[in-house]
Amino acid sequence: MKIKAVLILSLLVFSCQSLPKIIDAPRAGDTTCPFPFLKERQRLIHAIEIRLPGNITSTVIGITLADPVSREVSCAIMTAEGMVLFEAEENSGLLTVNRALPPFNSENFSRKMIDDIKLMFFAPKGKIYQSGLLTEGETVCRWLEDDGKWIDVSASREKDISVKLYTAEGAIKRHITFISARDKDNIYRRVELHAEERTNYSLVMTLIEAQSFGN
Amino acid sequence: MKIFRTFSPFFFPVVALFLLFLFSSGHVFADAFEQLRKDAAEIRSIQAKFTQNKSMKILAKPLVSEGRFYYAAPDSLRWEYLKPLKSVIITHKGKTKRYFFSGGKFIEDQTGGVQAMSIVLNEISAWMSGKFNQNPSFQADLKETENMEITLTPTGKNMTGMIENIFITLSKKDKAVKTVKIVENENSVTKIDFTGTIINKAIPEEIFQDVQ
Repeated sequence: MKIKAVLILSLLVFSCQSLPKIIDAPRAGDTTCPFPFLKERQRLIHAIEIRLPGNITSTVIGITLADPVSREVSCAIMTAEGMVLFEAEENSGLLTVNRALPPFNSENFSRKMIDDIKLMFFAPKGKIYQSGLLTEGETVCRWLEDDGKWIDVSASREKDISVKLYTAEGAIKRHITFISARDKDNIYRRVELHAEERTNYSLVMTLIEAQSFGN
Repeated sequence: MKIFRTFSPFFFPVVALFLLFLFSSGHVFADAFEQLRKDAAEIRSIQAKFTQNKSMKILAKPLVSEGRFYYAAPDSLRWEYLKPLKSVIITHKGKTKRYFFSGGKFIEDQTGGVQAMSIVLNEISAWMSGKFNQNPSFQADLKETENMEITLTPTGKNMTGMIENIFITLSKKDKAVKTVKIVENENSVTKIDFTGTIINKAIPEEIFQDVQ
């Protein structure tokens, strides 16, 4: 049993090696984590600028209906001209794609899109593993998710809040920035997401409309 | 990048239908196609404002977009959204470009969808010269109520799952298009209302050249 515990601990230590170092853990009672996530059910409509390698860019309109309590998500992507390219929802962990025109019709795309939305709008489900300061002075809380992935939520002096998703091995997969989050009346007024995938992509999201429902 | 190829089959039929029915002049019942072809020759330019209401299950209320539309014979088009998302599609002298507004300026959309637009626009040009009845993509039915209502139903499988119907309402008085309603499915409907339509007023060529 002891050997198993040592192995798990070693694995955790090893897996954290490429994560950004947290240099100064705050005193007990001073561990308020940045919280850019939804506190109540909201409908958000964003203009989304998609940036792909090769200087390829385009825009779509994204609609998100998300409930942080039930963790249910509905979403749609449409062109400025009103054509719905993609529409899906996840309830009780069950993903249902209601409409997906090529090339949005792969299961992989649907899953990743819902996961991106949940990363952006929902607090991590895991446990806080560590908190403190990053080398640039940002306050940070590090979550360890059930699947072994790491999520860092940090706030900079410039008032941006970032969410970074890392693999269990510490490779960054997503970097979400809520621009000047603490200055805005709505934290989702401008959000940027950068994804590290086989084909990297970035989304620059500008809020068009928001509607809160309460819970 | 093929993402935006998917919207062109939706967008351009709307533009084409707007053009087609705008210059219809009252003989839709008898020999609509022939009459439209004759009337098409009289049209040199069209300009109008539009308001687009997008209704979806996920939306509590329709998402409203506003913009401007310009056409100049034989094949220049400008379809411009002013809000909430500023974007422009221009076709002029055989070239089609799409722009979106970012960082205080218009940026050209580099996705492959622009090329697909060119293909569809060739078809529109055919329609504008009165050859729209050669397009087997839609079956057209006409009903006269207080307005003239035309229902277009896709005939081919190429629009399966994309568009169920398109409904066009024409003013009885001047035969100008009043509304276009595109039903993608029971949960997704786009309604476009055209206002301030002006026919055959000269449009500066810059409208089709300069995105600003």
